[in-house]
Amino acid sequence: MESFFQFLAYAIIAYMLFSSLSYLGFFLLAFGKVKREDKLDRRESTEDLLGNQNAFPVSILVPAYNEEVGVTSTVRSLLALEYPEKEIIVIDDGSKDGTSERMIKEFQMKQVPFAVRLHIETAEIVATYQSSIFPYIRLIKKANGGKADALNAGINLAAYPYFCAIDGDSILENDGLLKTMKPIIESDGQIIVVGGSVRIANGSTISRSKVEAIDLPKSPVVLMQIVEYFRAFLIGRLALSHLNILLIISGAFGVFNKERVIQAGGYNKNTVGEDMELIVRLHRLLREEKSRQRIEYIPDPVCWTEAPESLGVLRSQRVRWQRGLFETLWSHRKMMMNPKYGSIGLFSMPYFLLVELLGAVFEFVGYFLIFGGFFFSLIDTYTAAILFMVTIFYGSLISALAVLLEELTLHKYPKASHLVRLYLWALTETFWYRPLMVLWRVQGIFATFRKKAHWGDMKRKGIST
Amino acid sequence: MSLSFFWILSLSLLFAQLVLLLALARRKQKMSAKEQAITQQYEALSDTFSSYMVDPSDDRFIEEIRTNPHQTVVLERLLNGYVSVTKGGVKSPLVAKLSEDFLSAHYVRQLSHKNWAIRMNTLYYIEDFHMQSLQPVLKEKLGKSTQLDQETQQLIRTLASLDEPATISVLAKYPDAPVRLYTDVFKRLEEKTRLEELDTALRNENNNKALKHAAISYIGMSGLIAFLPRIEDELESEEGELRIQALKAILHLQYLTDPDSLVPFLQSPSWPERMYACRIAGKLQLSRFKENLSTLLGDPVWWVRYSAAEALVQFSDGDILLTHLSAHHPDRYARDMAAQWKSSLLGSEI
Repeated sequence: MESFFQFLAYAIIAYMLFSSLSYLGFFLLAFGKVKREDKLDRRESTEDLLGNQNAFPVSILVPAYNEEVGVTSTVRSLLALEYPEKEIIVIDDGSKDGTSERMIKEFQMKQVPFAVRLHIETAEIVATYQSSIFPYIRLIKKANGGKADALNAGINLAAYPYFCAIDGDSILENDGLLKTMKPIIESDGQIIVVGGSVRIANGSTISRSKVEAIDLPKSPVVLMQIVEYFRAFLIGRLALSHLNILLIISGAFGVFNKERVIQAGGYNKNTVGEDMELIVRLHRLLREEKSRQRIEYIPDPVCWTEAPESLGVLRSQRVRWQRGLFETLWSHRKMMMNPKYGSIGLFSMPYFLLVELLGAVFEFVGYFLIFGGFFFSLIDTYTAAILFMVTIFYGSLISALAVLLEELTLHKYPKASHLVRLYLWALTETFWYRPLMVLWRVQGIFATFRKKAHWGDMKRKGIST
Repeated sequence: MSLSFFWILSLSLLFAQLVLLLALARRKQKMSAKEQAITQQYEALSDTFSSYMVDPSDDRFIEEIRTNPHQTVVLERLLNGYVSVTKGGVKSPLVAKLSEDFLSAHYVRQLSHKNWAIRMNTLYYIEDFHMQSLQPVLKEKLGKSTQLDQETQQLIRTLASLDEPATISVLAKYPDAPVRLYTDVFKRLEEKTRLEELDTALRNENNNKALKHAAISYIGMSGLIAFLPRIEDELESEEGELRIQALKAILHLQYLTDPDSLVPFLQSPSWPERMYACRIAGKLQLSRFKENLSTLLGDPVWWVRYSAAEALVQFSDGDILLTHLSAHHPDRYARDMAAQWKSSLLGSEI
């Protein structure tokens, strides 16, 4: 039995070393693109689109469930967006609070019998409303069906060829939509989805959709989420997007080609990871059609979101994410290692399985063996010590490196003290934050078997003044 | 691999990271001090800059900027601010003069900088400041371009803003040049050159479809009514896309010499043609087509139904028509659409 654990320990050491190397490889791949655009005057590069009639009109979908506190401020912030032609559709997914009432009162909405096209089946639409003061603000009041169902209802009502989905708790920068639509406009529709980079707003001052001052939050839990974001973003998404094999566009913000999404069947109501599942389905559609269209991710921060500060909320978020990932990989298992799906099937799907999903299991076993080795002679202490070193390398040192790489490329946090604080906190990752994440991610895998989709719970403080 | 190997690996990585951390923190401090100095100077010069832009004989600003240690960045920011705030600032002779005097030599060097983003920013600024003297350098650079990448596209836009008509012939060398880029060029050319180039594009002697599409689309968007007869000719075109562009342009121009020329489009097998025909009939309030619009309210394509209802709304008796159609149209979808537009009409009256 001891030799089994010994073997397992070596396997985990090999896995962690291999993953670390793959992270570094990914970073090198993305470095060129990020560095190239580092000094670009973003304002100049998008201002031409503002008065451009070739800019495709966009429907902005805001799914809301019990969001009476923040929904009107989210819509107000969307009104300030710089974009030639847009409509805002709030979908009240059977809220138990006064979400619809707040919208109706604030924007003087009148009930209008819209001739909604049923591209995608949804739960019953109770009523549709239109604002008398801003006719391009609409509200759909529907029976509860989950976030995916709410988004599908929004797609059915949307009049424009592109839509963007934004969470009720996120704030889009004034020029965020322009920046995100730019690749779509410039590729003449060859890019069908663009994911915007989402940043954590806690600690920063955001006023009227404009980031007034970027600062770090005090809470270590949120600081670690920022570090985690650097790691996922710089050592992952950018490189995968570069290779057109990115499987995740954040649920908080993305712009989609409506026709393509309808062709793919809309958002899947049977998963909690509807954002990732849709992207995988779109990739699948593109590969099956042998289409040259692309899905892209832009490094520029365009959307600010409130990260959970309490461990309880963070736990439920991570359990939900991991469950969504598992459900997506499972429902598209046909693509796994299938040459018909090219690099998505042969590389991206196995990568997400081994690193993003099962990585948590390997790490969990790793922590178990370290503990067992030091205290119960499960493996010899020498191997346990090596495993411990590799775990620190894989966790803390790679995350600390991600902080430094962010400073080298994007350097979005303005003060040297921000850099030092983030770096030092990153070094602590292996000792408290990572074990928690690993535990919750493993729980997320188990949660997959307890089917019950629900909206994420989050105690909002509000991020914009 | 032994424990000591991992110790050494981790410690060396940690040590290397700490060195990098110190270097980056130092760089950040320096950058932030420089940024602070630039901001201070920008604020200090704002008043004299504004005075100079109002009255150029007040040359205190010229003296101050001449000796400024961050001359280029501060002037760039001041000019950019001015151009973005003042309407028509792009063509301001003072902006052009200041940039020509203080920035042109620097920009010539920047245009061959190894950093792509710096070259791009320079192209943007030359366009914003309308720096005519750099036209030959830009033309030479364009002559050396071999592919229509982002930089070449911006180079073409910048040159067009300096009224260089050759940009269209350079674009024509690239078969994949998008319509949007031709439109960008038309938008930037001076009026005289623009009208000449639009005329050439409509004649389409070189059979450049994208160029012709762009010309029709631009004429519509900018309301150049003088071209209406040429656009109306395109309604007879054998190419479907050109006919659609022509209908779209007529919708924008809001005029049609012979309304009967719309009849074939109201019965066209192509749904975008039916949709635009509906919109034109509504926009121009061509009441003779009310019956066609009522029929098209039951079209199989949602967009045609939507546009037919939208068109009916625009007639003075639109509300009566829609009320009637929402109750009596034989098609269920047509009744729904009529009901939606009838409600929107009520909403707009409140």
